[in-house]
Amino acid sequence: MVTGGLQLVREEFLAALEQAGADRGKVEEVRVRFAGRRSGLLRELEDRLKTLPKDEKPAYGKALNELKTLVQERLDAAQAAAEAAQHAGSAAVDVTLPGRRPSAGAFHPVTLVRREIEEIFLRMGYSVADGPETEDDWHNFEALNIPPDHPARDSQDTFYLPGGFLLRTHTSPVQVRSMETMPLPFRLIMPGRVYRRDSDLRHSPMFHQVEGLVVGEGVSFAHLKATLEAFVHRLFDARLKVRFRPSFFPFTEPSAEVDITCVLCHGSGCPMCSDSGWIEILGAGMVDPRVFRACGIDETRYTGFAFGCGLDRVALLKYGLPDLRLLFSGDERMLRQLGSRVGS
Amino acid sequence: MKLLFSWIREHLDGAADADTMAERLTAAGLNVEVREKDGADEMWDVDVTTNRPDAMNHRGLAREAAAAGCGTLKALATAVTESATPVGELAGLGVEDVIGCPRYCARVVRGVKVGPSPAWLAARLETCGVRPINAVVDATNFVLLDLGQPLHAFDLATLSGRQIRVRRARAGETMTTLDGMVRTFTADDVLICDATSAVAVAGVMGGAATEISAATTDVLLESAYFDPVAVRRTARRLDLSTEASRRFERGADRAMARLAVDAVAALIVRLAGGEVAAGVLDSAPDLPPLRTVALSLARLDAFAGCPIAAAQVMAILVALGLAPRRDGDAITCAVPTHRVDIELAEDLYEEVLRHFGYDNVPSLLPEVATAPGARLGSWPLTERARNALAAAGLAEAVTYSFVAAEVETATAGSPLASRGEAVPVLNPISSRLAVMRRSLLAGLVEAVAGNLRRGVSRVALGEVGRAFFATGGHPREEERLAIAVAGAVGPWDAPRALDFLDLKGLVEAVLDGLGIAGATWRPTAAAVLAEGEGAEVVVGSSVIAVVGRLADPLAALLDLDAPVWVAELDLAAAAAPGVPAFQALARFPAVAADLTIRHRLAIPYAELVAAIRRDGPAWVEEVTPIARYRGEGVASDEVKTTVRIVYRHDDRSLTQDEVNAAHFTLMDALARDLGVSFT
Repeated sequence: MVTGGLQLVREEFLAALEQAGADRGKVEEVRVRFAGRRSGLLRELEDRLKTLPKDEKPAYGKALNELKTLVQERLDAAQAAAEAAQHAGSAAVDVTLPGRRPSAGAFHPVTLVRREIEEIFLRMGYSVADGPETEDDWHNFEALNIPPDHPARDSQDTFYLPGGFLLRTHTSPVQVRSMETMPLPFRLIMPGRVYRRDSDLRHSPMFHQVEGLVVGEGVSFAHLKATLEAFVHRLFDARLKVRFRPSFFPFTEPSAEVDITCVLCHGSGCPMCSDSGWIEILGAGMVDPRVFRACGIDETRYTGFAFGCGLDRVALLKYGLPDLRLLFSGDERMLRQLGSRVGS
Repeated sequence: MKLLFSWIREHLDGAADADTMAERLTAAGLNVEVREKDGADEMWDVDVTTNRPDAMNHRGLAREAAAAGCGTLKALATAVTESATPVGELAGLGVEDVIGCPRYCARVVRGVKVGPSPAWLAARLETCGVRPINAVVDATNFVLLDLGQPLHAFDLATLSGRQIRVRRARAGETMTTLDGMVRTFTADDVLICDATSAVAVAGVMGGAATEISAATTDVLLESAYFDPVAVRRTARRLDLSTEASRRFERGADRAMARLAVDAVAALIVRLAGGEVAAGVLDSAPDLPPLRTVALSLARLDAFAGCPIAAAQVMAILVALGLAPRRDGDAITCAVPTHRVDIELAEDLYEEVLRHFGYDNVPSLLPEVATAPGARLGSWPLTERARNALAAAGLAEAVTYSFVAAEVETATAGSPLASRGEAVPVLNPISSRLAVMRRSLLAGLVEAVAGNLRRGVSRVALGEVGRAFFATGGHPREEERLAIAVAGAVGPWDAPRALDFLDLKGLVEAVLDGLGIAGATWRPTAAAVLAEGEGAEVVVGSSVIAVVGRLADPLAALLDLDAPVWVAELDLAAAAAPGVPAFQALARFPAVAADLTIRHRLAIPYAELVAAIRRDGPAWVEEVTPIARYRGEGVASDEVKTTVRIVYRHDDRSLTQDEVNAAHFTLMDALARDLGVSFT
């Protein structure tokens, strides 16, 4: 029968496909030979359909369609198998190679510490104030009860600029400017760069401070204590002990130095805390009324407290850095080691 | 200040032990920082704050210890056996400058035999850091350390006219001080003189010509009160800081001037023999009335934040020698002459609180009307700038605001840096940190150089900070953002050298982060950037940034042999952050068509895009570059730029025919307007 021819082609196809196995090239050859659009065998068989007598066409046509379907299915399967084989057979990915990472940035350790401190105070309703880094003597010293020719100036060796200006030695002038311009009551912190003529392992001629100032009616020493305890517990560890020692700053009365349990040895004693078990972390006090007077605030109606700490020092303590000046070196490795995790 | 525990004890009855006293003094604000055992005794180093000159001596600390419950202060015994000779027959005193010298007391001791001090005295002086010299000088130093009064001993025979005159210097007057240096004075300096010339710098240091020597037999003892400001000015100008000047500039005790001269005279007789002449030369024997300061108990409680029993307040003030008198809510104190730091009620609050114990005040969180806090001033802007830097993959550096003069000059060649003159630091800590920067590149490029020297293969730094300009008045500060990158870029398995477009990508990302739109880029002649490899970024009519390869002269100054790519942006150009308004998404499909344009290099890419938008149909949605080709088949002054033009109509689907038609029309227009071809 004529369909016998189809049967032969069918057997030939299956044999050829089996021989091709999983070789993509050979499977492709089989495809071209049998199912090729212009010269494949199936094409010839289709052409032959047209020459057949009428009563033989239906049977032949049906058988041909079945063959075409078979060929297509088997070819698809063979091609898929060949591709899979190719992937499995080729060298697998070495998953221990470093990935091509997207560039991640890093914030400076002082920025990270500053932001952490700002968050604590913003959540207590404090705003973050700003001011110039170059200052005049009045805003930096006199208004803060540090008159000219006073020994208190010795502890802040000043950089001078032409015209009687200077580089601010603390962010306290921002306190003065705020007191001169902002309505009362207010709660503010003022971080920023400050400058002193000092350079060794623990001192840099330029460094960062953050200070705070609260002015209002009925502000008390008890409020100061609670605020600073809440602050250090949040910044470091809620289990730390905090102690307040009398001290002296010209712009506060009474003045205090605030110590916390040494974060490195947890109070047992180590070189960082000179074996005392305590680290001095903040200066603080109630605002001296002479400062209110200088800023035009009614000292009989208002009281206030102020505090300050060195941001770089907090970064040294937090990250265990050996030398403060490293923070200003722009060392790429240090910055990326400490400051990444952008967004976390 | 170095002190001896046993010496403090001598001023107390029923003195507490060393541990208790050290603890109580520290708790009261006189921090005993160091304790060194010395046999049965202890040497203490006490941190005495500048407001407590009264505590810069053993008696003063004993007084504080007594107030802290460590004993009772003994009365000061200064009995002096006087001879029959009145002091006025032996010496004369005239104070011309009563402002600079409100009180001068003098005694004369005749017939001393000057030799070394006994061992006990020398040992005490040495422990406290004072070098023993001879018994007379050592006696003055002993009383200084004991009672806090600076004293000076003159060889009376060397004082011409046996006179002491206290006056301001005549400009140019000179004297050789005890340290052998010749000092020249100004009219501000207060001098102790004899009938003819200066013999001591008041409150600072004695003169060499009148010092006590082995030959001295008659001694004139000075015990005075000098104006704090005058002493400080003189001491600073002469670059001297002595035990005497430190006490005078903080405020000495006017009453003690009189008591101390007796103490030292008696001690000298004990150590060196001789007789004390009768009487004291005293320029101002009458003390001004004591200052009174009042406090309100109710206000004290409000200030402290807790009630403090009136009885306790009184007890503390009594113990401190402040002689309080109570009248209901008010307590009035008569401030003794040694407490120069007590003027206001708040000063009394501090006295009460430090003896009450800061740790005994409870911690109470304030109850306030709360509203959320905000970042003020330039903080919101600079924080956005830092976020933009980090989002672009840069590491945020912080470099010094002051730089070396030559580096500052080398970075001055840019429209941002040349906006004004630089501000010099008059007393820099080093010549490498001597001028305020007008450009952040000064410090940042040095940081890059440091990293490259350390072998870092990829450096990508940014900084947000201020640049400073002289104005004739208060310097002007400008917020800036700077970028400096060097090394390789790309993944580890396909690295390549950085180029301008890498830097431009970083800058564009930052501009986006700061909401700066509508920026035009054009080549720049700024000297800080290499010629042909730099751009200015312009918004409106202002240059807001410079971007490009660091120029060779500056790179050479910093020893850089690898190219460094830098950018600096004026943050004033940043837009206020706004809320984005949603743009409707396209509804109809786009048709993309690539076009390879061969054009002269002189036609910048921006001009091609502008021409396409101008000569193309209104529905050109986007034009992006796909490739740039120079080389074989292209003339040396030409380049082939392939762009992908995306055509999309807002209201309908475009047909392939109309896109083709528009595309070909565009090509004709480009060829005509720009002289380009498409092969």
